[in-house]
Amino acid sequence: MTTLDQHASVRPIPNPAKSLITKLNMGTGIIVGVIFAAATYFGLKDEDMLSMQQNSKVLLATMFMWSIGFMVGIGAFIGPVRWLIGKDLTDEEQLYLAGDGQGIKRYFKYCTDHKVVGIQYLVGVMTLLGVGGTMAMMIRTNLIQPGSQFVNPAVYNSLVGLHGITMIIAMIIVATGPFGNYIMPIMIGAADMAFPRLNALSWWVLFTAIPVLCSAWFLGGIPTGWTAYAPLSVQAGPGMNAFIATIIIFAVSTAVAGANITATVVAMRAKGMKWNRVPIFVIGATISVALAIPAFPTFMLSMIMTGLDRSFATTFFDANLGGSGWLYAHLFWIMGHPEVYVILIPGVAVLMEIAPVFVRKPLFSYNAAIAGFAGIAGLSILVWAHHMYISGWMPMLNGPFMVTTEMISVPTGLIFLVILGTLWRGRPWMKLPMLGVYAFLWNMLIGGITGLYLSDVPADNYLHGSMYVTAHFHYTLMGAALTGALAGLAYWFPKMTGRMLNERAGYISFWLTQIGFQILFLGMFIAGAEGQPRRVADYSVNFATSDLISTIGAYTIGLGMIILLWAVIHSWRHGKIAPMNPWGAKTLEWTVPYPVPLVNFDTPPVVTSDPYGYGKASN
Amino acid sequence: MSADTKFHVHHDSPEKIGRRERLGVRLLIVADGAFVFGMIFSYFYLRNLNVNNGWIPEGGHTFSASSGWVVVIPFIFAALMHRLAVRSGASFKNLSLLTLIVLVVGIVLQWKQISTMPFQVEGEEGMVFGYEGSYSSSWVLIAGANMFHYIITIFLALGLFIRARRAEVDPVLEKWRMATATSWFTWVAISGIACAITTSFI
Repeated sequence: MTTLDQHASVRPIPNPAKSLITKLNMGTGIIVGVIFAAATYFGLKDEDMLSMQQNSKVLLATMFMWSIGFMVGIGAFIGPVRWLIGKDLTDEEQLYLAGDGQGIKRYFKYCTDHKVVGIQYLVGVMTLLGVGGTMAMMIRTNLIQPGSQFVNPAVYNSLVGLHGITMIIAMIIVATGPFGNYIMPIMIGAADMAFPRLNALSWWVLFTAIPVLCSAWFLGGIPTGWTAYAPLSVQAGPGMNAFIATIIIFAVSTAVAGANITATVVAMRAKGMKWNRVPIFVIGATISVALAIPAFPTFMLSMIMTGLDRSFATTFFDANLGGSGWLYAHLFWIMGHPEVYVILIPGVAVLMEIAPVFVRKPLFSYNAAIAGFAGIAGLSILVWAHHMYISGWMPMLNGPFMVTTEMISVPTGLIFLVILGTLWRGRPWMKLPMLGVYAFLWNMLIGGITGLYLSDVPADNYLHGSMYVTAHFHYTLMGAALTGALAGLAYWFPKMTGRMLNERAGYISFWLTQIGFQILFLGMFIAGAEGQPRRVADYSVNFATSDLISTIGAYTIGLGMIILLWAVIHSWRHGKIAPMNPWGAKTLEWTVPYPVPLVNFDTPPVVTSDPYGYGKASN
Repeated sequence: MSADTKFHVHHDSPEKIGRRERLGVRLLIVADGAFVFGMIFSYFYLRNLNVNNGWIPEGGHTFSASSGWVVVIPFIFAALMHRLAVRSGASFKNLSLLTLIVLVVGIVLQWKQISTMPFQVEGEEGMVFGYEGSYSSSWVLIAGANMFHYIITIFLALGLFIRARRAEVDPVLEKWRMATATSWFTWVAISGIACAITTSFI
């Protein structure tokens, strides 16, 4: 515990007499979750467990009951049950749930304070990135030379799939989780989120998905990659059930979080904060989660269908009995492509928030930035079938989908222009967060241009399924979105922890990560263009040099990330105490001290100007 | 950005809370709507593809077009009765009890429909092997979604009835909660109708 946390914990703890909520925490959640899971498993288990159908039924039920049991055990249903019986939570109980004065213990409870939820998300994201990154290192180690056999092909397949889904989940929440929960309500001058209990629910439901996903390892892994195409996923081993349960649980968490963030921004902005005064990060995060609200349920639906096919022998994806693999591909990619922008938009919005602060200029064309985000979000739901060009589905529609996909480069170009316009003739203050802005411009340029080739039907016929695709989406998701999120971490670290992030370690980490990233993925473009397939454990000797270089790049990134992890942990415990507004920024979160008061503002703020008033706008 | 430092006592009004809650519920309805749309899309997609004539395989069973409507009628009645209850004020308690009863009848009907579906392929000793084809699979899914809607809606209706019986609940806040619940009651009725129309196309 830091001295700053100790300062927070000396406040008297509300003690609602005889209330069950004072006795529940993560420990009771785990105990009840395990009891529910064990009771389900042993209650349903029978001698027919060898049949895949029965096995899937029992495993899926066990995983869902773990999740429900955990939520019962941590007290998530106390509020709804009390509502049901007409005995609403008292003010004292609400205050207790908000974790008032409970110090570090509140991080292990069903705490409704958005700042606690933000920190929980931050730690959760770092854990997921660490696990996914470790799997990436194992993948690259296996590819260090042809025939290396570091892991066997089955384990390699599982590594690729689990790395993919772990990173996708981590990246979806990487900016909207920690910053959307901790920073965003303060940025808009709100006392809390619109639905504090749903806020805690979204985190803890997600938390229950993590052990479920990890259990895939002990159930034989997932052989399908993160796309889990049917009918392969229907025929896969028991580990697939863990994947299915994880996605369904995650989709619930995402829907709840999306509704909560959107309702907060729409209905709880401070007096005077008109839409044209809302910070651009808030706009980006809101568009992102609003896009996720309709997108993720279709992914959930595809997983429910897969689960039903596996457990009850329905035939959604069985072509012998009227099913179709194309149906899965549609449902998956109707979510799958918007999901790329659900990841990308908040990361870019963080960088747009940072750029004006560090060049001391207004954001160039705020309206164009919003138009860019809205254009990307709108077009993203019209492009899904570009992932199906070579599946044989409706070749006559390849042309229209090529056009809609290429059109996305227009709003993306706007985003570029906004950032370039903001930097233009500015005098950048080259602190750690600002480096991310420049890294984004380079990485997104490469990621965007290489994407144009993949949107083109003839080029995609050749490049589909190659390492070129892997390199392209890593440039957009990691090179742009993760870079944005890490810049956000450096930028808001002082507000979230009360301390400055170690700048020297941050610089070293940044350069190692970015240089390693270029080494890893630039070479991968070439290998892919020359025909190296993705998701394959071995490769031709022709690609040996390129893959060796890529693996060196991966290790360099790994080193950079370890240094960043050390910097975060060390700075959190021993870093220099941060002033209230170390960057001289003008958004509302910098007007509150650390620790941020429970209701954020002693006096509700009244906003009288736009958030980027650093001087005369250049446009 | 500058912040006015004048002191404001900040208490959210019931109207503000109501607006927030209604928006939140409607956003969750959007998510549920995407799910329902996905089911309907899947139904028509598989029906029109009819891969290997497996939509309804030879000798396969079908439900009549009215089967889908039978389980939806309680949703429609419940939505209408809830609206009436919200408007009536004085007789809210009695009407919300009626709403609850109608929904319980609905869930019983839905359960009976699911448990007596004729689509399952059975082997020796009545062991179930699976389902006849993609028509029956789509029916199972839609019936399951209706069941989920019944469970959530009964929870809401039960809560509203119990709260209406208790004198100590805040009547002003309750009014907004009733209005918020109306969104959900209306949605499940619309969703049920959409699913019933879908399953009318055999």
